[in-house]
Amino acid sequence: MGTREKIADLQARSTKIELGGGQKAIEKQHNAGKHTARERIAKLLDSGSFTELDKHVIHHCTNFGMAEKEAPGEGIATGYGTINGRLVYVYAQDFTVLGGSLGEMHAAKICKVLDLAVKMGAPVIGLNDSGGARIQEAVNALSGFGKIFYRNTLASGVIPQLSVIMGPCAGGAVYSPALTDYVFMVKNISQMFITGPQVIKAVTGEEVSAEELGGAMTHNRISGVAHFAAEDEEDCFGQIRKLLSFLPANNLENPPVAETGDDPGRMDESLNDLLPDNPNMAYNMLDVITRVVDNGEFFQTMPHYAMNILTGYARVNGRVIGIIANQPKVMAGCLDINASDKAARHIRFCDAFNIPIVNFVDVPGYLPGMNQEYGGIIRHGAKLLYAYSEATVPKITIVTRKAYGGSYLAMCSCDLGADQVIAWPTAEIAVMGAEGAANIIFRKEIESADDSVGKRAEKIAEYRERFATPYVAAENGFVDMVIEPQETRPRLVNALEMLATKREIRPAKKHGNIPL
Amino acid sequence: MKKFKINVNGKTYEVEVEEIGGAAPAATTPAVPAAPAASAAPKTAPASVPGGAEVVSAPMPGKIMSIKVTVGQQVKDGDLILILEAMKMENEIFCGTAGTVKEIRVSEGAAVNPGDALVIIG
Repeated sequence: MGTREKIADLQARSTKIELGGGQKAIEKQHNAGKHTARERIAKLLDSGSFTELDKHVIHHCTNFGMAEKEAPGEGIATGYGTINGRLVYVYAQDFTVLGGSLGEMHAAKICKVLDLAVKMGAPVIGLNDSGGARIQEAVNALSGFGKIFYRNTLASGVIPQLSVIMGPCAGGAVYSPALTDYVFMVKNISQMFITGPQVIKAVTGEEVSAEELGGAMTHNRISGVAHFAAEDEEDCFGQIRKLLSFLPANNLENPPVAETGDDPGRMDESLNDLLPDNPNMAYNMLDVITRVVDNGEFFQTMPHYAMNILTGYARVNGRVIGIIANQPKVMAGCLDINASDKAARHIRFCDAFNIPIVNFVDVPGYLPGMNQEYGGIIRHGAKLLYAYSEATVPKITIVTRKAYGGSYLAMCSCDLGADQVIAWPTAEIAVMGAEGAANIIFRKEIESADDSVGKRAEKIAEYRERFATPYVAAENGFVDMVIEPQETRPRLVNALEMLATKREIRPAKKHGNIPL
Repeated sequence: MKKFKINVNGKTYEVEVEEIGGAAPAATTPAVPAAPAASAAPKTAPASVPGGAEVVSAPMPGKIMSIKVTVGQQVKDGDLILILEAMKMENEIFCGTAGTVKEIRVSEGAAVNPGDALVIIG
């Protein structure tokens, strides 16, 4: 073969590999509302920035007639490119090739980009669309999964890892996404489960559709396995790019600062009138957050799960903050198992990646009930305490209204290491609500009074006047300042600036033992 | 004592199973069935709900303060259904779907537990 022929041969090989499972399989993929692996990468990354690696890799399997079976690209496209001009590593499973099944060499391609991503300190994004392990490759396929899990774990806390479910993801395959930081799912396209509907039917007799069992909304709303739900693939890529705009490339960098054009000194008078006068009435905490952060942009993570707590990212004076906020509008904003879990995970991600934490607190308490106690609210609730105490990034707590008892402590009180605690004059920082406290403290007085109802009301009012305020806490130094609600933004800007150089050294240890 | 013939990999075994007195039934209800993190699943419908109907259920334990709909009323997604007093807060419970109020299963003042069906929308 002369050079010309060799070049022609290269071109023929490339074309064949890029066509994946062939035109027919591609059409089938398109008809299912799905793009092919390389189309997806092209849409996700900055235009023309993708460099593919390991295109020519082939499988080594000879079992069950596999020797004659071709798998162009080994059923996966891997490489790197940029998003908003910043380096990312990416891999996309190709469902058109042997159902995107994972064999030894398919896994080796994934492992290579994971290793590169860690070395270069850049995020990695995995686009999953696979029938699972390639059965013909037996334990070699299993070993492939194991190698990926191992790398996901070692990379955790070093680089952001994003998993995007864009097709079936069943059995062992679900655990790589589960080990990563964020899971994205697309409605009607993505499914995740350990055992599929057929197996469930055979074993337990339950009949359930794949979408109901492990679809996007199941995992976004009920299980909390996924963090984002998208209407379609394009919407999903938009959400990924948005999320990455808040994250540093690795644990040694700070999150990207952006010019937002929002005046850091901006006061918002409407905040002074936002809270209802009746402390038993709810309000929307999003109304507070969007009035404080730059341009009202609050990007929520897990927006459909445990909606009694809000988590997400925003910018203040161009700097990224991670937000944790009670939502009085949902379940009174109480802390329960799911809310504790959701918030603790967000706190730990922020801490790992140098993102300051800002808490908006209006919490009536931990949710009482058998469900919660049997479900282990003690150990799940403890995650929140642990995560806050463990975090060494700047921690700012803003108490808008209720902060009672254990939940007051759990929402990053000064005793859990908050660097600045700011209270609105509407704050009620106390051991418990006025009704409960008055009933206990003045029980004898109330019982012996002729008009016990009137006496109770009087004592409740007395307690509320004295203790359901920010001032007892402030008098003891548990609150750094009491401010007018309208000043919140400039105060927050000021606190974040002051805390920018925060350094906190802890005793060396292998790792703590968070109550999992 | 009951005798069973059990076939494992082609080999037949004869086994005897003895039921141990009164303690046995208790053992069949396994220790607290991994208490579901119920609060996040607002659609845990009880068995007696007609097919295709949406159940508005209690997200947490509390007391019904006031009911804002009547049977036969048309409702849409996001409409206020009732107010549940819990955690000393007046919690607004909204409709998650559009339809007609088929049934109201609670009355004002009633105590409810998480997952209890409050209103059926058809």
